[in-house]
Amino acid sequence: MEQVVGPKYQSKGSAGKDYDPSFAREVYEKVDSGAELKMCMQCGVCAGSCPLRDKMDYSPRKIFALIRAGKREKVLKSKAIMLCTSCYSCIVRCPRKVPVMDIMHGLAHYALSLGYKPRAETALFGEKFWGNIYRLGRVDEKDVALRYFLGHKLSDAVLLMLENKNMGLGMLRYKRMKVLPERPLKNIKSFRKMLDKAKAMGKGGAA
Amino acid sequence: MNYFLYQGCSLEASGVHYLVSLKAVAKVLGLSLKEIEDWNCCGASISYVGGNELSVDVLAARNLALAEAQGGMDIIAPCSSCYVVLNKVNRKFQEKPESLKEVNQVLAEGNLQYSGKIRVRHLLDVLYHDVGLDKIRSAVKRPLQGVAVAGYVGCQSVRPYGEYDSAEKPVIQDRILEAIGATAVPFPTKMRCCGSGLFLTELDYCYELIRTILSDALNNGGKIISTVCPMCQMNLEAYQDRMNKALGTDFKVPILFLTQLMAVAFGLSRKEAALDRLMISADPYLKAA
Repeated sequence: MEQVVGPKYQSKGSAGKDYDPSFAREVYEKVDSGAELKMCMQCGVCAGSCPLRDKMDYSPRKIFALIRAGKREKVLKSKAIMLCTSCYSCIVRCPRKVPVMDIMHGLAHYALSLGYKPRAETALFGEKFWGNIYRLGRVDEKDVALRYFLGHKLSDAVLLMLENKNMGLGMLRYKRMKVLPERPLKNIKSFRKMLDKAKAMGKGGAA
Repeated sequence: MNYFLYQGCSLEASGVHYLVSLKAVAKVLGLSLKEIEDWNCCGASISYVGGNELSVDVLAARNLALAEAQGGMDIIAPCSSCYVVLNKVNRKFQEKPESLKEVNQVLAEGNLQYSGKIRVRHLLDVLYHDVGLDKIRSAVKRPLQGVAVAGYVGCQSVRPYGEYDSAEKPVIQDRILEAIGATAVPFPTKMRCCGSGLFLTELDYCYELIRTILSDALNNGGKIISTVCPMCQMNLEAYQDRMNKALGTDFKVPILFLTQLMAVAFGLSRKEAALDRLMISADPYLKAA
């Protein structure tokens, strides 16, 4: 990349030299909503609005700065990109109308599709959740939870089930659990065809 | 008044008391609700793991297309997650016609297409703007006098656009609570996130989120919390006991759906108000009414 530092201000350190726009371009092209981050002016309102900001290694603002600085590994491995609760606070408040949440989701999906696992547990849960949608067209809460528990090695699965036992029994007792398995949609075949086609047509995950 | 009801997956299981009380209240208020036939899950807040953006858009679009083919009435989405997803995608179709075109190519696999014209409404929106406070007031037979309620709106109910109420400081739920005779206490964290779908996987972080909300409700004089989101209801109620053990706290705050409180105020039975489905009973506070 061409240096844009004038003779008077020429940097003696590494400033300017480390700047690598290739990852930013990759994000614009391959990550869902990725191109929207061009509008980010690094004000930090998203970080200040995020309910889990203090649990993140990098705030959304920092993630965007890292993307611009070309820090590919740091971003795709960051645990922050999978900690979004989808509360929309960042979207509501961004003065530049950057859909911060959508970009974070896009980054997480992209990282997962490349084999990164920023948060293995949430990835496993999300995978079982999507599995229910694909298989049934709807989500059967008990089924997703069970599949998530059983997605662990046996000792962990048993531990998880014990931890969540009272919760499950409570749901049963207060008739808030579907006892019978959920039945697939009437038009489940065409529903699955749609999801297959959307997967093939969309970006964000193209390897 | 005729609407489609997009009840979503939670209202058939952990949030079934929302569906039961909502249907009972709708009957009193003269709302006719028709289920969208063969509706599918909206994908909620964790769909990004398995689906790309187009797949998630298709989940919403299929429901919108079905509603259009089945009569084209406004859709009421009582679940905040369903509302925010359907509404956001719908708005995108209206603002970016090319995204609607792309989605229609996918919907064609099921011989469906969508024009972008259906309206997606939250229950609060319909209760306040279509039914109106006067009608709600006139249906009250047993005002909830002296019942101090913290109206928890949750993060997704009025977002992302704040179309029918402020996206930062919403007031509609409080007005409805007042209309049924309850006292709506000030509640600064009424829009704070409860942790949503992260409860199963990031429990420790979520405990902190719900502790903030619960203590804020109590500190402001609230005795029970009212909500319009099945995720909020479940997270705040079903995990309270475990949170108490983990953090050494002693909360026992009943978490009710707004429609349950309305059903009680309308003089409906315990069963219609689905009070028997609550893990933390609200009876001690409602008896005073």
